[in-house]
Amino acid sequence: MDFLFKDKKISGILTILPQQSVKFEDEIENYSFSPTKCMKLKLAMGYKEHRIAKRGQTSLDFCEAGLKYLFENNLLEKDDIDALLFVSQTPEYFMPCTSNLIQGHFGLKHDVLCMDINQGCAGFEVGLIQAFMLLDQPCINKVALMNADILSAKVSKRDRNSWPLIGDAASITIVEKLGEPNIIHANIKMDGTGALAINIPAGGFRMPCTDETAEMVEDEAGNFRSKDNLVMQGDAVFNFVLREVPPMIEHLFEQANITKDDVDWYMFHQPNKFMLNKLADKLEVPREKMPSNIVENFGNASGVTVPTNISYNLGDELVNGSKKLCMAGFGVGLTWASIYMEVGNLSFNKIIEF
Amino acid sequence: MEELISKIEEILEVEGLDITKKFTDYDEWDSLCSLSILAMLDSDYHITMTGKEVASFDSIEIFCKEVLSRQ
Repeated sequence: MDFLFKDKKISGILTILPQQSVKFEDEIENYSFSPTKCMKLKLAMGYKEHRIAKRGQTSLDFCEAGLKYLFENNLLEKDDIDALLFVSQTPEYFMPCTSNLIQGHFGLKHDVLCMDINQGCAGFEVGLIQAFMLLDQPCINKVALMNADILSAKVSKRDRNSWPLIGDAASITIVEKLGEPNIIHANIKMDGTGALAINIPAGGFRMPCTDETAEMVEDEAGNFRSKDNLVMQGDAVFNFVLREVPPMIEHLFEQANITKDDVDWYMFHQPNKFMLNKLADKLEVPREKMPSNIVENFGNASGVTVPTNISYNLGDELVNGSKKLCMAGFGVGLTWASIYMEVGNLSFNKIIEF
Repeated sequence: MEELISKIEEILEVEGLDITKKFTDYDEWDSLCSLSILAMLDSDYHITMTGKEVASFDSIEIFCKEVLSRQ
């Protein structure tokens, strides 16, 4: 599905990371791999360290810390927020919406639209597309898009398929109307037949958490996890990404009537270094134009990886200037989405710790 | 065939690969090797397989023949 948006911009990106950084080496003993194999895994996937929230810290806590920072530093006015989007798979409650809780916490105006969106790896693109659609309304001039996930609470530490690559993080992206003409191209695709390729089986209404679902079970590859934990069919996801993402990006080029060389930076979701290198090669894009260093430094926090990638790798570059970005997210759902737009002259683009 | 075999040897980090064996007969075989095989199939042979399929071939030789027959 193709989207076209006019006269809208991103005006600031703030990434909020946990203070605690855990090294891959310090967790090797949890895995059923020999140290040699673990080091091979580290090298291939680009694992070094990842940020893990303190026990009890939630996605909401990180979003509130980020908004507080923006308010206190006069980077955002409370009354200017016309819509508050919270994109996450680790909400505070089943009900109410986490975005409503945050609105209440800060005493934001009642004339606001709060909306929670359940999305993971493509959560930044889905959130941005939603924000752009809202901005088509005359009453909405500024949207605060929050992406947050605390996956460490749901991934087994003895699962070397998932634990070494995940991280916790949140981001706040300010999206608003632009006083001058510009054009944004985007597309999005879904395939629910692969919905369980990345899944947390227990904890919803179909399979509530019980002592039984909490039982740790060993899989064929020697990973231990329970039904309360996230489970990922690594090879199915890998094949899905290599099959669907390159044609999606090619299609985005056609939509925008550009070539791959027109793009300054390919800011993609960060599953791991291995997959990103494969993607860059398949798209015939220089690997240097597609940063792949987020998993090794911070971990993959699903929908937060693209803003983290932008804040970390393009920080001042997008404050002092402007670049053409091709952004893409792909994963849980299955959902895959991409956006081509110029991003720059941001009033802030940085990482803070909480 | 030889080219494909040497690629498999590289992934498994073994010399003198016994192609009558299954992938899973090798102690070196693990999820990372499996993923590397999938990546190699995609980039060099434009073939998509699942990890399970790769591991289920009765021998590496049969696997190689299957890959080449799809060319």
